[in-house]
Amino acid sequence: MIQTITQKFTGSRSTLRAAEHRFIIIALVPTILFYMTVKFYPIFFAFFISMHEWSLFGNVSPFVGLDNYALLAKDSLFYKVMWNTMYRTFAGTFLGAFCSLIVALILNPIKRGSILLRLIYFLPVMTSVIASATIWKWMLQTRFGLLNQLLSFLGIQPVPWLQSTTWAMPSIIVMGIWGGIGFTVIIYLAGLKGIPKDYYEAAEIDGASSIQLALKITLPLLKPVVSFVLITGVIGGFSGGFQAIYMMTGGGPLDSTRVLALHIYDYAFQRMFMGQASSMSFVLFAIVLILTLVQFKLQRVDWEL
Amino acid sequence: MANQDFVGIPSQVDTRALNRGATDFQRLRRGLLFNYLVLGAGAILMIVPFIWMISTSFKPQAETVSFPPRLFPINPTISNYIDVFDRANMGRLYWNTTFISVIKTVFNIYTSALLGYIFGKFIFRGRDIIFYILLSTWIIPFEVYLIPLYLMTVQVGWADTYTALIVPEIFTIYAMFMFRQFMYTIPTELIDAARIDGAGEWYIFHRIIIPLSRAALFTLIAFYFMWNWNDFLWPLVVISSHDKYVITVGLATFVGEFWNQYGVIMAGASLAIIPILALFIAVQRFIIEGVVLTGLKG
Repeated sequence: MIQTITQKFTGSRSTLRAAEHRFIIIALVPTILFYMTVKFYPIFFAFFISMHEWSLFGNVSPFVGLDNYALLAKDSLFYKVMWNTMYRTFAGTFLGAFCSLIVALILNPIKRGSILLRLIYFLPVMTSVIASATIWKWMLQTRFGLLNQLLSFLGIQPVPWLQSTTWAMPSIIVMGIWGGIGFTVIIYLAGLKGIPKDYYEAAEIDGASSIQLALKITLPLLKPVVSFVLITGVIGGFSGGFQAIYMMTGGGPLDSTRVLALHIYDYAFQRMFMGQASSMSFVLFAIVLILTLVQFKLQRVDWEL
Repeated sequence: MANQDFVGIPSQVDTRALNRGATDFQRLRRGLLFNYLVLGAGAILMIVPFIWMISTSFKPQAETVSFPPRLFPINPTISNYIDVFDRANMGRLYWNTTFISVIKTVFNIYTSALLGYIFGKFIFRGRDIIFYILLSTWIIPFEVYLIPLYLMTVQVGWADTYTALIVPEIFTIYAMFMFRQFMYTIPTELIDAARIDGAGEWYIFHRIIIPLSRAALFTLIAFYFMWNWNDFLWPLVVISSHDKYVITVGLATFVGEFWNQYGVIMAGASLAIIPILALFIAVQRFIIEGVVLTGLKG
């Protein structure tokens, strides 16, 4: 709306002055050249690498066509990695979105102390994941970690959280939710602010209960925000998790927390299979691209505010 | 947060309800009490890791592994912190990280403001096409870039240099997009008036647009400083000499070396976290409002 008005206004002037022209060219030309070099060229280069048996050592990198992709399709470890990635992504996103929604709904009506509460929930967002993961690894330590020591008061035997194929991934997911909840809450609070108060007043006059208000007004009107949080969460989840998993489990035990981002790093920079790693990064790219297109289709995201 | 709404569950009571008599007042009290209890319990869960980190960092090794767990050390010590400064070269890590984060943030914000201004306030042929092509790279995961960018930096001889850390990340699409959104709140008449008064284009950008974008500027500076400070994967891949490490890579290496000296590790984590937290708490009012202001509308 605002944009169309300004466009009409600026558009009515027939030509740009020479000074404006120069300004645009001086700013845009270097930008475009730079983007070509660091944002567009690398994509083609990555695809080129993925068609070769590329290693940092040795000068020969034979062309193998789509063999790297064919190898992935037959690689049971890769399927496991994809399963782990989806497990972490979907469980983390949905649980995280649910917890954040609850926190936002009960934080929204609060006046006194709300800034402090928001700040507390926001603390982990500001903390580097490397540092958070260091703390969590210590808290989840089997013998001396805080969690198991506290559980022992309830008579629960120590659980090897990060050394168990069952518990390692849930531990990482919970840490991820802890780390991200503050940011999602702020997005929800912004969404809640956009719901006109009149709706509630009208419903209250009609005698609606608080549960009815939440289910019939708040949630339906918040739906676009919820789906935004879910979809961006899923898109981000597929390429995420590297730092936490690198620090806490290194992908183990028995590859049970090996996710795509870690797998790509491991193949490219530890095992030096850069061609194979590039082909995985393209699988990731394809997934993210498809999800983004689905999001556009579903949401018709309104890029103009 | 100027306007506080009284909407949500379970206490949708608005301020007028207060005047409706004791029953409504009780309803409000009971409702908000529930809210405070749940949020308080959640808040404790949120800060327990930080408290435990600080607690452990002041404990001698024997106390870190003792049962039952104690919040306050019996014999508090700062030897863990001294160890970190001595053995992890903390001063150096701070300096490196600050240096790189400041340079990157200045570049990030200046270029994004300039481009956001151009895409938001000028009409020229191909503007939208160029903008959306630039914007489209936003969705590409960094993992796709990791390998080609690394090979490119090796090729131009930038491996293990700060140039490699800074140059590929000078321009950022997210901040550019946010600034472009923010430009719609600045009236075009103002810019035209300045032009009529004879102001040059750069003068307008530096003296009118930048000061008027303060709200977006502060928020984005804070977030980019934080992201740059906390960046891990790219520095991990590009930097190989210890004296060039940034704090995240330094901490990760340090944790690997001192894996069972929990007090020392927690002292390291505290030192990595505290500067950025202190900075954020100092400017938090701008940030939390700014997330909304810059149009992160969801």
